[in-house]
Amino acid sequence: MGRFIAKRLGLSLITLLLVSIIVFAISDVLPGDVGRSILGRSATDAQVAQLDHQLGYDKPLPARYWKLVSGYATGDWGTSPVLNTEVRPLVLRRFGNSLILAAFAFALIVPFSIFMGIVAALHHSRWPDRLISIGGLSLIALPEFVTGVILLVVFAVQLGWFPSSSQVPTASPVDWFRQLLLPSIPLMCVLFGYIARMARAGTVDSLRADYTRTATLKGLPRRTVVRKHVLRNSLLPTISVVSVQIGYLVGGLVVVETLFAYPGIGSLAYDSVQANDITMIEAIVLFTAVLYMLSNLVADILYAALNPRVRLAS
Amino acid sequence: MREYDYHLVEEVRAGRLTRRQLIIRATVAGLSASSIGTLLAACGGSSTTKSTSTAASGPIKRGGTFRLGCAVPTGDVDPVFLFDQGSIFTAQLAGESLCKRMADTSLQPRLATSWRQVGSAKEWEFKIRQGVTWHDGKPLTVDDVVATMKMLTDPKVGSSALSAFNGVLSPDGVSKVDAQTVRFSLDRAYVDFPYTVSDDNYNSIILPVGYKKGDFAKGGIGTGPFILKQLTPKQGATFVANPKYWGKDAKGGALPYLAGVQVKYFNDPQSNVLALQSGGIDIDPQMAYASARGLYNDPNVRVLELPSSEHRTVPMRTDQAPFDDKRVRQALAYSIDRDALVKGLFGGKAKVGNDHTFAQVYPFAPSASEVPQRKQDYAKAKQLLAAAGHPNGITVPTLVVEEFLDVPEYAQLIQDQAKGAGINIKLHQESQSIFYNKVWLQTPFAIVDWGGRGSVSPLIEPAYTAKGIWNSSHWKDPQFDKLVAQFDAEPDEGRRKQIVAQIAKLQNDNTPTLISFFITGLRGVRKNVQGIENGPVDHIDASKVWLSGPAA
Repeated sequence: MGRFIAKRLGLSLITLLLVSIIVFAISDVLPGDVGRSILGRSATDAQVAQLDHQLGYDKPLPARYWKLVSGYATGDWGTSPVLNTEVRPLVLRRFGNSLILAAFAFALIVPFSIFMGIVAALHHSRWPDRLISIGGLSLIALPEFVTGVILLVVFAVQLGWFPSSSQVPTASPVDWFRQLLLPSIPLMCVLFGYIARMARAGTVDSLRADYTRTATLKGLPRRTVVRKHVLRNSLLPTISVVSVQIGYLVGGLVVVETLFAYPGIGSLAYDSVQANDITMIEAIVLFTAVLYMLSNLVADILYAALNPRVRLAS
Repeated sequence: MREYDYHLVEEVRAGRLTRRQLIIRATVAGLSASSIGTLLAACGGSSTTKSTSTAASGPIKRGGTFRLGCAVPTGDVDPVFLFDQGSIFTAQLAGESLCKRMADTSLQPRLATSWRQVGSAKEWEFKIRQGVTWHDGKPLTVDDVVATMKMLTDPKVGSSALSAFNGVLSPDGVSKVDAQTVRFSLDRAYVDFPYTVSDDNYNSIILPVGYKKGDFAKGGIGTGPFILKQLTPKQGATFVANPKYWGKDAKGGALPYLAGVQVKYFNDPQSNVLALQSGGIDIDPQMAYASARGLYNDPNVRVLELPSSEHRTVPMRTDQAPFDDKRVRQALAYSIDRDALVKGLFGGKAKVGNDHTFAQVYPFAPSASEVPQRKQDYAKAKQLLAAAGHPNGITVPTLVVEEFLDVPEYAQLIQDQAKGAGINIKLHQESQSIFYNKVWLQTPFAIVDWGGRGSVSPLIEPAYTAKGIWNSSHWKDPQFDKLVAQFDAEPDEGRRKQIVAQIAKLQNDNTPTLISFFITGLRGVRKNVQGIENGPVDHIDASKVWLSGPAA
């Protein structure tokens, strides 16, 4: 197990390095100019060139990349020239905010989706299954900005039950729901479809498996069969799907946070790309990549813990 | 009375200036409210000045937090470098300029109590208000004003105001006369100079001696009604009332009425509007028609309207074929149905333009008898094209436009309407950041958006004169440049009006750009917001705002 984790960590470092190079190169060819973003359109080309020079943006690409990456090695994430502020505290705070939103959405939707997936599997090909499967697929097809705007108009503007722009909630659980429920629904809509489908497929497979038949034949009550024999096996693929969805979440957060004016990492990413703020973009993408890898690693470890074949093969 | 005062009264008596125009021009020249009252009395007739703020209902209620929603600032909020909506609204709550431009384009004293020309429009003296303190308690001095103006005009600092001061004021031209007076020796005569040191030039906020880039965002800097407590980048800002604010209301009561202001930034204009409708914010101070449209049916929200000089130009490169032929440019101008544009793009919330920069909001705007209004006339357009050697129609260079509010839709309407005259237009769209990084000054055919200004020179000089740095159409006419210089130097209001008519005629006839409309500024406020002015929409003054009833 230790070797397994060490190997995965090593691979992750290489991936991170590659991601940082790719993001830096892409940000550099993004149309627009940092000096222009800072000074605005009323500045002359000479002013823009002067500022670019002051900021070192006229240096060759490898030199700028090296400055940034060597900074990361010493824990310095750099300073955003556009916001004139240190990158690390801002990214960490925004990230924390997003984590609260994502965790809230996950905490509500994962158990619910798995439960519905299992219900669908247990009623395979009958109406509860149809309802859950078709409903899930339809929800995946709805883009976040559509569900988000509908929710805002109905629940924030018409009914006035929720604020239309969400703050980071206070410690009170009532406030969690007030601030976070509306923005998490568009995320949950998409997640529900994927997770429920995987849970259903896994459960259907397990129900048909020989060990389930054996368990049933040896006279165990159905409830025990499902809990002890079916679920443990059917949840394996679901865990992988859930961990992959963390990647989706970052993309979904860009839309949802922008729509609900929630101060998370997604809206910060959106802003930074608009402003050609390479230092900020790099920090956000790398941090997201680290998180994505960690979540995959955790999923793999969980998977290994649940499945001896994986554990032993490594 | 000074000579200029007599002159104003004469102009009104002769019917060349209305009473409203007299007030506006007198404020620009630096006349105090009481002298303007004397002038109005001298003109005879009733002397009423119309208040533009929303009528207050019942007694004023103090306290409460006013919540303002606007676009996310592009960068750090710093008065010296800001240029975008979110930064302007944030900075103007805490910072003040020497004077303030009002909704009717008149100027009101702020940190300056009065100003005057010394000898000619090339020399100006501003008296600085005494007894004003900075948010940290130190007194405001003339040295602060001198330091700010030197900083803004210094090319090495590279402030965003450089273009506004270009050819007007250099660091050496700013000097302290005495403990109450600052003197500006301009590079050229400029009658409308006070606008340049008013909030019409949003970088002109007075900052303390020794100000360093980035200080403002840390809070506690300014003389204004509200003190910046905390600014969270890209998220919002918190202000508390300045207990020592110098400003007083009409009854001598302390200002501001509010206990504080909360600014919230929105990436998406739609979210901003929804927040206003749901009561999450109290004001969306500047909105596009597309966003405001839904608010007209909302019982909780009022939409304030103010005609402005905001417009779009459609520059055509006059130094390249086919637009080097005036007749081709005019043919395009005659193919445009301006009324349809005003209706289609702005639901009627705009005023028809006539291919010159003088919007009707300016007191000296030329009348239709001086410059006849252009209307859609396909026969005339075809005739002009034929005369220019394109009897079978013409395919012109691609129209390059930015992704910004109504602009892409405007481009499509131009494309449609031009077809009727046999002009084929292809469209190309770019993001704003690309468009305003060189493209707009080079491409042969484009649409450029221009914000409103209290005085017309900042809209004309950079865009139409030979030396203009934003002359997208590359139009050069020595006669035009001469007239513009005369306009800036001419103190006589009657002669100014004549010069304006000539400038407008030249613009209209040569048609270096189309100006089809001037957009009405729209501001959305919750019904319980009192004392907010309806404009200018790109500026905010919350010192007299108060909230009636529960802040729902």
